[in-house]
Amino acid sequence: MEWRRLGRIFDPTKYCLPNKCHEFAQSPQALVFDDYVRVYFSTRERDLKNGKFLSHVAFVDMAKDMRTILRIADKTVLPLGELGSFDEHGVFPINPLRHEGRVIAYTCGWSRRVSVSVETAIGLVISNDNGLTFQRSGAGPIMAASMFEPCLVGDGFVRVVDGVFHMWYIFGTGWRRFTTQSAPDRTYKIGHATSVDGVNWNKEEGRKVIADRLGEQESQALPTVMQISSAFHMFFCFRESFDFRAGKGRGYRIGHARSEDLSNWVRDDDEFSILGAPGEWDSDMQCYPHVFECDGRKLMLYNGNEFGRFGFGLAELK
Amino acid sequence: MYKWEKLGKVFDPKSVSGRPWLQEFAQAPASLLFDDFIRIYFSCRPAADENGQYVSYSAFVDLDRSDPLKVMRVSDEPILKLGALGEFDEFGTYPVSVIRHDNGVRAYYAGWTRCESVPFNVAIGVADSNDGGASFVKIGTGPVLSYSQDEPFVLSGPKIRRFNDIWCLFYIAGRKWKLVNGRPEPVYKIRMATSTDGLAWTKLNRDLVSSRLEEDEAQASPDVFYSNGSYHMFFCYRYSSNFRGKEFGYRIGYATSTNLFDWHRDDSKAGIDVSGSGWDEEMISYPHVFDVDGVTYLAYLGNQVGRHGFGLAKLLGNLG
Repeated sequence: MEWRRLGRIFDPTKYCLPNKCHEFAQSPQALVFDDYVRVYFSTRERDLKNGKFLSHVAFVDMAKDMRTILRIADKTVLPLGELGSFDEHGVFPINPLRHEGRVIAYTCGWSRRVSVSVETAIGLVISNDNGLTFQRSGAGPIMAASMFEPCLVGDGFVRVVDGVFHMWYIFGTGWRRFTTQSAPDRTYKIGHATSVDGVNWNKEEGRKVIADRLGEQESQALPTVMQISSAFHMFFCFRESFDFRAGKGRGYRIGHARSEDLSNWVRDDDEFSILGAPGEWDSDMQCYPHVFECDGRKLMLYNGNEFGRFGFGLAELK
Repeated sequence: MYKWEKLGKVFDPKSVSGRPWLQEFAQAPASLLFDDFIRIYFSCRPAADENGQYVSYSAFVDLDRSDPLKVMRVSDEPILKLGALGEFDEFGTYPVSVIRHDNGVRAYYAGWTRCESVPFNVAIGVADSNDGGASFVKIGTGPVLSYSQDEPFVLSGPKIRRFNDIWCLFYIAGRKWKLVNGRPEPVYKIRMATSTDGLAWTKLNRDLVSSRLEEDEAQASPDVFYSNGSYHMFFCYRYSSNFRGKEFGYRIGYATSTNLFDWHRDDSKAGIDVSGSGWDEEMISYPHVFDVDGVTYLAYLGNQVGRHGFGLAKLLGNLG
């Protein structure tokens, strides 16, 4: 399965984004309209209280050539959560879809911890204006840590297949200090849950649906699923859990798995390749893939170096 | 109104030595009856760390069944380990509630983690004992009951019961973090969930008990007891601000129900209040009602929410 690089299509450093965000356009995810494609992403504000980041949702509307920028969000798409809530310090990523005539989205909310940096959980938000803004359907998450998924539930990607909601998401298996000097690092794996209403979910509690390639310390993130011919294909990114920011060859790459039944997945990263010379923006890292169809084209949005600090690009299935 | 005869303080954490993890507090008493003794689980703390912060453990004290004011033994170790780095119960296992199950003992407990914008968050864990309730091993490393749309944070104070083969978990869920003089203080309400196996829970998703003091009244320790054809709940409640003293601190309330889901609150029936002087003169909280050999007891906390231990009261007459 060969995908062709089409290059970077959005650079956030060239625009003024809401909430004083000026870098990062992470985890691009598409919602296709008649005349354009809205790409949601998460961008970052510097928290003046402590210099840490806050992740905000924004979007860019592109013509279906996926080149021409028509509009950029000019106000808050989804406010951050209230004091003490699971999504108080950021929403990243956001997964939009249409359901019963409305636009809904699954969010990954971030809240900061003391002994480790963060905890996450998955929320549900609803739009009443066709995706310009979203409101929470509750202050808390629809899916959070549980007995055998002890932390860091996030990155939900939802599709309805034969009337059943399927969610692929990630759950943390634990935190670890890899060296005495290093801050705690997390490891997470891809899981699966189903639902009849999109609100109440049944997890396959603790089942890692994608085999490890780098061993137990592999972290897998941002699953995205698409049907191609008769099979389902999942794309995700994976990395080492330690020294993944600067360590050569330890950062995010894109992985792939195939399934006939949405339950059993055969991992085959080598079946997937992106052809074409990497750009300056995606030479060291490819992460946060999102696949979608637009006018018969099968497209993949993804981030490059530094987890999307410099925007996102596009690839197309040949 | 019920009539309770106060028997005094039964257990003072200061009376114990050689246990650095048990320096202060004996909070949230919960009973388990044995042939010769009444085991009362409680939660306690070692001395605070250099930043003044506490972790909490749970332990037990065995009281003589024929004379519950007599302490027979105190557990040598905490009954539960704290969670590992980043786990939901890394900084505390408090409170705990136990039930006999499958010839063993099962504990539900609240696990504490520390947060940046608010001081903590809490979710409910579950653990089983294979040694008759002396120690417990967590079934999983994550919580059995956690945050959801209508219960966004601070799920704490579990009380496990089984009525008519249905598992009932009474607990509290945070409603909001209220800034009081710049400090976030949690407002929480009494909630419940039911289960057929004690592991997969269905939340009722509504408050069981109306608020009386103010909209932001905090309610805790929903202790449910069946007697004489109806369900009785003793609980405690306080104001949302300045609640660390007598005027706005915890008092014990009461509600009754015929079906476990619809409760009628009538605090005037609780029949127990702060004393004129002594260890429970400022506040009383965390009630737990249990029956031993025909006598109904109420274990509860006094000043500073159990910093100095818990006491017992004896019911004169029956629960109606």
